[in-house]
Amino acid sequence: MGGLLLLAIISAAGLAAPWLTGDPSRIDLQQVLAPPSIEHWLGTDGLGRDLAARVIHGARISLAVGLLSAFLALLAGIPLGAAAGYLRGSVDGVISRIIEAVLCFPTLLLLLALLAAGPAWLRRLPDVVQLAAVIALTAWIPIARYLRGEFLRLTGSDLVAAARASGAGHLRIVFRHLLPAALAPVLVTTAFTVAGAITLEAAISFIGLGIQPPTPSWGSLLTEARHHVDKAWWLALFPGSALFLTVLACNLAGEGLRDWLDPEKTP
Amino acid sequence: MRRPSPSLLRQVVRRTGQAAATLLLVLATVFLLAHLAPGDPLSGASDAESFHRISPEREQAIRDLYHLDEPLHRQLLLWFGDLARGDLGRSFHDRTLVRDKILQRLPITFGLNLFALVFMIGLAVPLGALAAWRPGSALDRWAGASTYGLYAIPVFWAGLLLQILFAVRLGWLPLYGIAGPDAQELSWWLRMADRAAHLVLPVVCLGYGGLAYLSRFVRANLLEGAQAEVKRAARARGMSEWSVVVRHGFRQAAVPMLTLAGFILPALVGGSVIVEEIFAIPGLGRLFVNAVFQRDIPVIMALTLLSGTATLAGILLADLGYLVLDPRVRRG
Amino acid sequence: MKIRLLSSLALLMAALVLMVACGSPTPAPSAEIRAVLPTDPLTLSPVGKNDRNSELIGMQITDSLVQYDHELRIVPRLATSWELSSDGRTVTFHLRDGVRWHDGEPFSSEDVLLTISKAREPATEARSYMSQFERLVALTAPDRLTVVAEYEKPNPDFLESWTIPILPAHLIAPEEDLLTSEFAAHPIGCGPFRFVSYSPGQSVVLEANDDYWDGRPGLDRIEFRIIPDERTSYQALLTGEVDLLSVSPPIWRESRTSESAAHLDRFTFSRLNVWYLAWNQDPAGPFTDPETRKAMMLALDRNTFIDTVLYGLARPGTTTYHPDTHWADPSLSPRPYDPDRAAALLAEAGWADSNGDGILDRNGRPFRFTLLYPRGSQEIAPRMAAWMQQSWSDLGIVMEIESLEWRAFLERRNAGNFHAVMATLSFSSPSPDQFELYHSTARGGVGFNFFGLNDPEVDRLLEQGREQFDPEKRLATYHRLQQRLYELEPLGCVFHFASPVLHKPDLTGLEPSPLDLWRHWPGPRSWRRAGDGD
Repeated sequence: MGGLLLLAIISAAGLAAPWLTGDPSRIDLQQVLAPPSIEHWLGTDGLGRDLAARVIHGARISLAVGLLSAFLALLAGIPLGAAAGYLRGSVDGVISRIIEAVLCFPTLLLLLALLAAGPAWLRRLPDVVQLAAVIALTAWIPIARYLRGEFLRLTGSDLVAAARASGAGHLRIVFRHLLPAALAPVLVTTAFTVAGAITLEAAISFIGLGIQPPTPSWGSLLTEARHHVDKAWWLALFPGSALFLTVLACNLAGEGLRDWLDPEKTP
Repeated sequence: MRRPSPSLLRQVVRRTGQAAATLLLVLATVFLLAHLAPGDPLSGASDAESFHRISPEREQAIRDLYHLDEPLHRQLLLWFGDLARGDLGRSFHDRTLVRDKILQRLPITFGLNLFALVFMIGLAVPLGALAAWRPGSALDRWAGASTYGLYAIPVFWAGLLLQILFAVRLGWLPLYGIAGPDAQELSWWLRMADRAAHLVLPVVCLGYGGLAYLSRFVRANLLEGAQAEVKRAARARGMSEWSVVVRHGFRQAAVPMLTLAGFILPALVGGSVIVEEIFAIPGLGRLFVNAVFQRDIPVIMALTLLSGTATLAGILLADLGYLVLDPRVRRG
Repeated sequence: MKIRLLSSLALLMAALVLMVACGSPTPAPSAEIRAVLPTDPLTLSPVGKNDRNSELIGMQITDSLVQYDHELRIVPRLATSWELSSDGRTVTFHLRDGVRWHDGEPFSSEDVLLTISKAREPATEARSYMSQFERLVALTAPDRLTVVAEYEKPNPDFLESWTIPILPAHLIAPEEDLLTSEFAAHPIGCGPFRFVSYSPGQSVVLEANDDYWDGRPGLDRIEFRIIPDERTSYQALLTGEVDLLSVSPPIWRESRTSESAAHLDRFTFSRLNVWYLAWNQDPAGPFTDPETRKAMMLALDRNTFIDTVLYGLARPGTTTYHPDTHWADPSLSPRPYDPDRAAALLAEAGWADSNGDGILDRNGRPFRFTLLYPRGSQEIAPRMAAWMQQSWSDLGIVMEIESLEWRAFLERRNAGNFHAVMATLSFSSPSPDQFELYHSTARGGVGFNFFGLNDPEVDRLLEQGREQFDPEKRLATYHRLQQRLYELEPLGCVFHFASPVLHKPDLTGLEPSPLDLWRHWPGPRSWRRAGDGD
């Protein structure tokens, strides 16, 4: 559960960013690339902006992208996967074809295409929402596929047969019997989705799309740091560590959640 | 295994038909998206602009070269018509044959991915098996944390640090590219060695991120398979736990592995923009991203066709594998 | 399956060891250089789609009738001399005798005719040349070494278009599409270097033309390596795999302090470019009056930004007439950093914080706008935007930042759908004719006047300047134009950037022109590597 704890600390720091640090966009051209000091305890960047403020504010962006895209993925993945697995037949056929169609686009490239040249309504949304929506566009698929498989398996089981025999309706079967049985692994997957979205944001920043400057995100901070690899080590080390710890925490939280929800698997 | 029954054959035909329909739909969608995207394929060939104004007639004549002012459905039909004749058209960007562009880059991308896959599987399977050997042990936890840690390093930093260490500081490995400048003059063996040396850093960069999920996947499947067996057979026959994991775990895990195999085919032809960019490798990933930036619709379409075909073929093969392995699915 | 995988890995490792054992890349022969192109050339045909890399390579392979030298003077190349008729409409070129193409065929006036006819064909897509030759009414070749061009109207800058690289008529069929022809895959020219090979995404190789009419070049071979990531190309320079590299300001800073770059020679040169801020003069926006536009520029502390963020690699700009061309009016100087004067000008223009919310307003509308810029290509752009945002917010102006991918940016900008845009403009010739930039008929997506300047005085001066042959009078006209532009400030010229170059010390003779390091006469023709017997 160390993962969850770490995640909670990072989220809290992100939420409290305005009280913890100064303005992440305040430029001070007299303090360009200053190493860590009492005044700027993580140093400053190429425009003399306080790195501590930027890293902590960046947590908001990175976590928001991660959580929002996981949420949107659940929002699409659960009903579609459940419908395909429970209703079967033509509904399953249609949903499976949609899944296959989305899989036909290479993920990162689909993201880039939409961010660079997507429809106008998409580009009018706030950056974080835009990025999260585009990441969710492919992230719902593993969730839906898993749930479909579980539902297919469980629908044929004694559990459902018994419920049917006792006169339960479809909704009751789905919500009382099937979802609770299948949901735990979905939550575990969600933790991994968050981690994946945060690393994807970094990759998208490198290509030059992603969050608009001057808003800091860890991805954009790390991309910028490549220009100062020789001298300003703090520019890479601190945002890099923040990203590293968060992604690690998400993954460990996912593992922890899995062990906790399904103790039988670890004898 | 039984002989394929008529119903199995019918299944195969039906699934193939569905896959073809899906592909057509995907192609049409991509075509529309590419056309509706803001920005004109013929605007701003390069970042530097110069003042020039040409007469509207000549401007129109240039647009007509690309059929850009035809109605969209006609343009799409034209594309499908060319495709039916085996013609992928010419790039809007430089008017070279799209087929040539793809054929130049496909072997490079394929080779890179193949080695990355070998690297990943070569490390993930033993790691996963080791972790599954004693689940919950320090070894298991260490394997989990360290692979997740690798996953959390952005590839553009990993690439940079590997380049600085192995190519600049130590000088052991080439910095970039797929062949040394004098590769043509080397003997076959040295040329292959040169190729291999150029592959090392990109392959590591491509593969390290996937280690976490792949090794955990192997571990989970081995455990699931092993548990069922441990309870019954092992105790009865007095086998060591290790052999249970290997012999029964792998057999039980074959079905989920098949799902994974379905993803390998598209992964082999999928480009990887960041690694290609950092290591200056002319692969399909950069081709696709540049095509998107340039609104080079024929290239976008051809690459969608390629990745779509590979994905659907992968899924189809995995599905057929299930049909053959697990007769229950056939009824479903 | 596992065993096979393991053995492949082992093979890979063995190959690796073998590679290490046979050592790192061999040093280049003395008279060879390796340079970097960040992207593939669009075409190998010297005349084709406007593309910097294609032109750069094309100019080494073939020659033109005239060319700019490193001080932007026109020098004769394939033309030995020319005369202009008294009405200024007809020009006669006398061509050089004895020039041969790389395949041995002689050069003649036929080649010039073919080149121009190809350049004017829509299928060649050479928009820049196409527009320059649109005013040509007739082109004839009375004999093998004479070409006569007749223009619709006299044009004092007519020589600019004759820097077009000449193509061999005997290798290109008149009805052939140049860009898809066999020639475009294996170009042949009459220039100092001949084309050897091109591997897409990897390299372009050129070799010295031993029979060059103006003497063999000092270099034996030029290899362009195609490396998209600037970091990687810089490291290739450090490991010695590359001999010459143009770099960006952050790498320039790094190279000056880093020990591993201490062995390299370096210089900077000025380029004909301007980093501009274009104010949309549409009445619906805040930038309708010159006072407001001038105040915006006065609020920027450009010298401090140059010293701290740009490492001295830029100069503050005045107008789009670059200070390194002789057209620049020396009486004008960049607007200084003067926030008090900026505030006063804004007050004069009617801006005041009437509702006390800290934001200026005028006629009930707050001073808010969005700055649009293209993302991706230059990492310096987001820094400049952030700096401007802060500089202006100190005056009570709220600026949002929006960056768009290049083609989406172009569409928005050319449609006039913006408040202010920031981008760079490079000039491909020293011509003072900026008609397409400022004339009122170049508005509305037709020319380059997307910001909508509409001033009768500017129009008159532009029309006058493009018809004056007398250098003194012409200079006076363009000085008056610059003074008028300085008053109107339709386009803020923030910086002129310099290009830094790093190279190995034994590479000598590098003499850049404000157009480019490569694209002028003599360019790479006069480069040498010490130690070669030449």
